[in-house]
Amino acid sequence: MELMINTLTLTARFTVALLIASMGEMFNQKSGIFNLGCEGIMSMGAFLGMLVPFLYGGAGTVPGYINAAGLIAGALCGALMGLLFGVVVISFRAPQGIAGIGLQMFGVGLAGTFFRSYIGGTQSITGINAKAIPVLSEIPVLGPILFTHNPVVYIAYLMVPVAWYIIFKTPWGLKIRAAGTYPKAADSLGINVNKIRYESLAVGGAMAGFAGAFLTLCQAKMFNAGIISGRGFIAVALVYFGQWHPVKIFLGALLFTFAQSLQTQIQIFVPQFGYYEFLTMLPYILVIAVLAFNRKSNKFGPAALGKPFNREQRV
Amino acid sequence: MKKVLTVILCLSLVLVLSVSCSKKAEPTDNSGKAAEKTVEKAKEIKVALIVSSTIDDKGWCQAMHDGITQAMNELPKGKISDYKAVENTQPADTMTAIRTYVNLGYNIIIVHGSQYRAQVEEASKEFPDVMFAFGTTTDIIGPNVFSYMPQSEETGYLSGIIAGMTTKANHVGLVGPIDGGDSARYNRGYVLGVQSVNPSCKIDVTHIGDFNDTVKSGEFAQNLIQGGCDVLTGSSQQALGALRAVADYPDKEIWWVGQDLAQIALDEGYKCIAASSYNYKAVLIGLVDKFEKGKLGGEIISMNFNNGGFEWGWNDSNPKATAEVKKAVESKMAEFVKAADLVANYKDVDYTKL
Repeated sequence: MELMINTLTLTARFTVALLIASMGEMFNQKSGIFNLGCEGIMSMGAFLGMLVPFLYGGAGTVPGYINAAGLIAGALCGALMGLLFGVVVISFRAPQGIAGIGLQMFGVGLAGTFFRSYIGGTQSITGINAKAIPVLSEIPVLGPILFTHNPVVYIAYLMVPVAWYIIFKTPWGLKIRAAGTYPKAADSLGINVNKIRYESLAVGGAMAGFAGAFLTLCQAKMFNAGIISGRGFIAVALVYFGQWHPVKIFLGALLFTFAQSLQTQIQIFVPQFGYYEFLTMLPYILVIAVLAFNRKSNKFGPAALGKPFNREQRV
Repeated sequence: MKKVLTVILCLSLVLVLSVSCSKKAEPTDNSGKAAEKTVEKAKEIKVALIVSSTIDDKGWCQAMHDGITQAMNELPKGKISDYKAVENTQPADTMTAIRTYVNLGYNIIIVHGSQYRAQVEEASKEFPDVMFAFGTTTDIIGPNVFSYMPQSEETGYLSGIIAGMTTKANHVGLVGPIDGGDSARYNRGYVLGVQSVNPSCKIDVTHIGDFNDTVKSGEFAQNLIQGGCDVLTGSSQQALGALRAVADYPDKEIWWVGQDLAQIALDEGYKCIAASSYNYKAVLIGLVDKFEKGKLGGEIISMNFNNGGFEWGWNDSNPKATAEVKKAVESKMAEFVKAADLVANYKDVDYTKL
């Protein structure tokens, strides 16, 4: 029982970066743009998330607002990178896949270069630590799983209903969906499709940057050049996995992270299994299997996903 | 509008490049004229290092980089006229890096990681006059390749003695990268070391499947700690994430044994009881000597305590670095110094039977 509680507690904590990044990618894709550059944006977010507290207090403890500034810096940088991506794929109508890969390389390379120039070498920070909420954390079973995390974890979970509300219950969300489903129709109704797509990319980029900053400030509490290690691509896959729905994406992120934690537990508690190589693949196999067996997935995807919108060719 | 955006994009790119390059402007005198110089001065020794991570990773790659720079300081001034490191190199990019540096006149190319074996085999045939050093392997790759293999089961064994004597929960853990090369030897040595002083101790061995992913390493370490382990170790550069996870418990008796001395000096190094390190300085000095004698490879360089291939350091401010633990470790280390291959049975360690 204790083992399961531990696994679920860690799952709840470790799922956050993936959850926020994939939620941001959902905003991008709902508006019709898939951003493979998520990895690069997360890298820059991770770097800035660390840089701000490091410049203030080195590896020592810094006030909470400095750590918060790190998260905000990561998000702002992400938003800017999202807009930069918008210039390339919306205004210049470059192929989104290729541009995304370019952004990924740009972000990872730039973060590594800045890191080497301004920090110098692998460096840790105190970051934001987990803190148990009094009384609530003492509730049997659920207490440790739900109420022993750092504050950003709760903010991340709050993003799920907020994202759902924005996408499905607000006029702006309706415009995003229209821009991603049938941009010509949206345009004929007076919606500025490109503007909506820029806004979505800014929001999506901000969330990816925030997710990167979470990794350095709340989870790894350090930065190195390869810190994202493919998590940006997993975030993109989770959007397909979750059929572009915030709640399903949330469940997908939880399942993926649970599989990660589970493979550790199997290595620990079932050493007789032996094949750790297979276990490390387990979460990825799970994602592929779900995508392969979920044939309805395409029906939920934005119809205009990946297609540039040219107002002059709307008829 | 498009023109304006194009101009803004170009300006941004220029700005970003100038800002990122402004802090460290490295001299570039060795780029264009290097090949010329090589022709003029055939015996000039230039060393290039190819690594998968960075030279400041507080682990595998930094150990080699530090060894090279220490050797450069110890050798007569100018003996090694130039040294360059190529970081974050994927196996697919390795041949490009090797060809570039050979064309620039670099004549000792160190390819640091077992994942590059196929590229070293190819390059050594393409450039028979260049000395290559490749690790880790116990195979002879070619007449111009020195293979090096740290016998890390020795350092792992010592780390295991510390873990076995320190644990209060009678439960220790290990966060490994992949089960291969030098890490496999260290990890198995660790198991034997723990069992030698504490046969009833439970040992959890995990592999994250990656050499560089410090986030995943931290996640694995958290799982081990939550599962009851109170002394952890880890091999390769990914282990830094696990050490950081241990430091998340400042008030708890959870400790770390390092595989790089640089880990003790880190901010979270207070959790580190002791650490070992590779002594690549001696390896490089030996390579330079052989190069000057015209011997370019075809040998295996073993690294062990017996030939000075390892270093060991204690964190004297750590309360667990007790006299009793030190005595046990140093006694075993003295045996290793006297004779090599004392932990040859590391190959018999079977994780599935732990």
